[in-house]
Amino acid sequence: MTYFRNIVETATSVFEGMSITFAHLFRKPVTIQYPDKMAVPLTETLPDRFRGFLKVDMEICTACLACMNDCPIDCIVIKTKKDESSPTKERVLTQFDIDEAKCMYCGLCTEPCPTGAIHFTKEFERATEDINDLVFKFVPEGQVIVPYKAPKKEGAGDAASEDATDTTEEAADA
Amino acid sequence: MLLNMGPQHPSTHGVIRFVVKTDGEVMSAAVPDVGYLHRSIEKIAEKATYNGFMPWTDRVDYLAAMNCNVAYAMAVEKLAGIEITRRAEYLRVIAMELNRIISHLLAVGSLGMDIGAYTPFVHALREREKVNDLIEELCGQRLTYNYARVGGVIYDMTPNWDKKVIAFMDQFEPLLNEFDRLLTGNKILHKRLGAVGVVTAEEAANYNLVGPNLRGSGVKWDLRKDMPYSVYPELDFQIPVGTGEAGKLGDCFDRYMVRIHEMRESVKILRQCFERIPAGEHQVKVPKKIRPPAGDVYVRNESTRGDLGVYLVSDGSDKAYRVKFRTGSFTAMSIIEKVSRGMMVADLIAFIASLDIVAPEIDR
Amino acid sequence: MQKLADLLISKVTVLQSIPADFVYLAVQLVFALVMLMAFVAPFAGIVSWVERRVAARMMDRVGPNRVGPQGFFQWIADGIKSILKEDIVPTAADPILFRLAPYLVFAGMFAAFVTIPFSSGLIIADLNVGIFYLIAITSIVVVGILMSGWASNNKYSLLGGMRSAAQIVSYEIPAGLAILVVVFLTGSLSIQDIIKGQGAYPWQWYIFDNPFMPIAFVSLFISSLAEGNRTPFDIPEAESELVSGYSTEYSGMRFVFFYFEEWANIYLIAAVGTALFLGGWQIPPAVKAWATGLGGAASVILPHALEFVTFFLKALVIVFVIIWIRWTLPRIRVDQLMALCWKYLTPFGFVASMGVAVWMVLFPQGVPVVRYALCGAALAVLLYFFYRVAYQVWYSRQPVHVNPFV
Repeated sequence: MTYFRNIVETATSVFEGMSITFAHLFRKPVTIQYPDKMAVPLTETLPDRFRGFLKVDMEICTACLACMNDCPIDCIVIKTKKDESSPTKERVLTQFDIDEAKCMYCGLCTEPCPTGAIHFTKEFERATEDINDLVFKFVPEGQVIVPYKAPKKEGAGDAASEDATDTTEEAADA
Repeated sequence: MLLNMGPQHPSTHGVIRFVVKTDGEVMSAAVPDVGYLHRSIEKIAEKATYNGFMPWTDRVDYLAAMNCNVAYAMAVEKLAGIEITRRAEYLRVIAMELNRIISHLLAVGSLGMDIGAYTPFVHALREREKVNDLIEELCGQRLTYNYARVGGVIYDMTPNWDKKVIAFMDQFEPLLNEFDRLLTGNKILHKRLGAVGVVTAEEAANYNLVGPNLRGSGVKWDLRKDMPYSVYPELDFQIPVGTGEAGKLGDCFDRYMVRIHEMRESVKILRQCFERIPAGEHQVKVPKKIRPPAGDVYVRNESTRGDLGVYLVSDGSDKAYRVKFRTGSFTAMSIIEKVSRGMMVADLIAFIASLDIVAPEIDR
Repeated sequence: MQKLADLLISKVTVLQSIPADFVYLAVQLVFALVMLMAFVAPFAGIVSWVERRVAARMMDRVGPNRVGPQGFFQWIADGIKSILKEDIVPTAADPILFRLAPYLVFAGMFAAFVTIPFSSGLIIADLNVGIFYLIAITSIVVVGILMSGWASNNKYSLLGGMRSAAQIVSYEIPAGLAILVVVFLTGSLSIQDIIKGQGAYPWQWYIFDNPFMPIAFVSLFISSLAEGNRTPFDIPEAESELVSGYSTEYSGMRFVFFYFEEWANIYLIAAVGTALFLGGWQIPPAVKAWATGLGGAASVILPHALEFVTFFLKALVIVFVIIWIRWTLPRIRVDQLMALCWKYLTPFGFVASMGVAVWMVLFPQGVPVVRYALCGAALAVLLYFFYRVAYQVWYSRQPVHVNPFV
């Protein structure tokens, strides 16, 4: 009996499976033909929280180094110096490099940022033949950028007491 | 004949090597050789801050990153005495159950592919992509979520995200049934998995199998029920166990079926979660530099591959003194040598796939 | 074939000066060459494209659609790529056998096409032992596969080669038994004679001749799948177990030869099934009479063209089914493969052959009612199948999309 039951079960289950695969011929493929045959550009379909390349708005960067300190793999390098030429001898940024090749897109740098200067973009296509092209230099070489100063409190370097929730929202807003 | 299966082999599920002693098709032993994917994550934990280590926990088990995230966060919270909000707990459970669905989808799909059914695998991946999209909307990443934080989760739900998940589940359940009719009901699958790689309940306990592998042997042990954490005690769900319907209790088919049933239970849990989730904050205020008091803690979390243990020792500084992950795949490796005696080469593939081994989780 | 040559002689005056036999031979050789080069090779290529597209749609994917319209020239691109690739012979391999193996596989497959008819006249050689020759010549493929498995000096290849040899040799038996029942009915081994014994309409086909014929057909179909190393019997090249089986170490054009063999074999399976059970190239007599009555060149070419189309369409349906099975079923294990062969197919093959023999003694003229009933049963199964398909489409609650070309 098992002998014939095996045959019947095999036949019926194969029949059922084949009807399913046949039914799939009448379905629209779910795949999209990235990158050229797209109804809408892919970046528009990405959610707002998508973690693409990091970008820094240098106008609002306070040079607090919080992102550099929080980066678990040290892919952010920020250098500052006292501007000798200026009368107030204020701190200026001489280097703000993010090695996007090293970056693991965890988002820990965007959380402590007091102004939301460092944030994710939706851009992720940057194939290159030289890995050094992926080091994003936000301060052009040989130039300096004066950090943004928050209107109220001076020297926003101390972010230790920052409310984590607030900074998150700021980052998301940015 | 000494057959070297791996480290590069289509069905070793990552970089694992099996030294297979065969006589033609029948094997006398398959000895797993692990360590090809060791990335010293536990050592990195000693150099990273508590929150800074969170992205690395994604890499412990890339298919159940959410569970690793949460397990680690739970360990730190327990040590530092941080109480998180109920909304955060629910968000974590939602994320973990979504993670369980996609992990099991890949497990059953790749089990199908390993025994030659390619279409069910792609169908499973199709559903997996939909969940990936949902998780991407929730936390910004598809695989390495980095969603949990010490003190809660990083983001709350986006508006209408819960409706999207419910819409997904509504169409997922028929498609899961269809998957059942396509692959699970198939007689060839029954023959390939039934009575193959039988692990008795006693053996499973002795060899320390955990999660679906243990439940496949008929042992009703699930940390979500037996050592409840988070909000699981409030939720109503069943623990599926193997029944031996295609052969013997504890065979590959039972482990496969446990995963299929667990996906349905996850859907059930998710539906309840969306009904019950309270309003509130998703994160509690924690100091920027977390300094738990000196001491140690062991936290267990029912990951998709079973009991995920995190042992955390703190010396009072802002960096962990020692972190140890105890993972399900690693314990599953030990039984392969025993069960594989007298198996055929094709059975070994099915057996490994049914254990749902993820190579990075073995080596960490 | 002879008619075509006669026509050619009557039209081209130069040919009248040479003996007719030479012309016949030349026409035959040219036809053989044309058929092999212009039919089998592109067909194998196109089937590879069809298979990928069909598989893609079954998986809700798009499939290759970039090279040419709907990716139709994908197979040419693949072929060119393969030819341009480096021909790697592993250092530890046996160089002579390693190089020889793909040719044997290739030759065995092509030689089998000699007896495959395309129409009542279009056949390279209508051997009086046609089907017998076919079974014999395809066995050369085993030698090639075994050779490639051995010569690769790779344990996976060796296992694959051994599996393949065991499989093909075993499945010769049920395949032979299934073919035997057709030979019973016809009393001839010539494929053309077998086709001539059938008619154009389904109830005249051998598959519905008596209740044992469907068993023989299914048995032949399954054995052919196994001999062709197709899923669910693709254990010799089981990707997840043996990496790629006997073709693991091959690259470039030599690798393509193996795949070429596989796809050409699909047509071979389909053609044999069509010729033996599904009425071959038979078209309704009225249509044939009309076509031959047209006069001129059309009266020679048109009937053959119609017959060719009929045969080809039937074969294409079987080709589609083979592809479809491949993308539905899991692979069976090697011991189950043998169990299926010896415990199921061979006994059923014997039952079928004995049954047909008894049937022929009892009802020498056949029973028309049984033929119609079997036709009806087949139709019922088909209708039930389409009902199930409709149910699956409805159940999945996904939008329906009929256009095959996305």
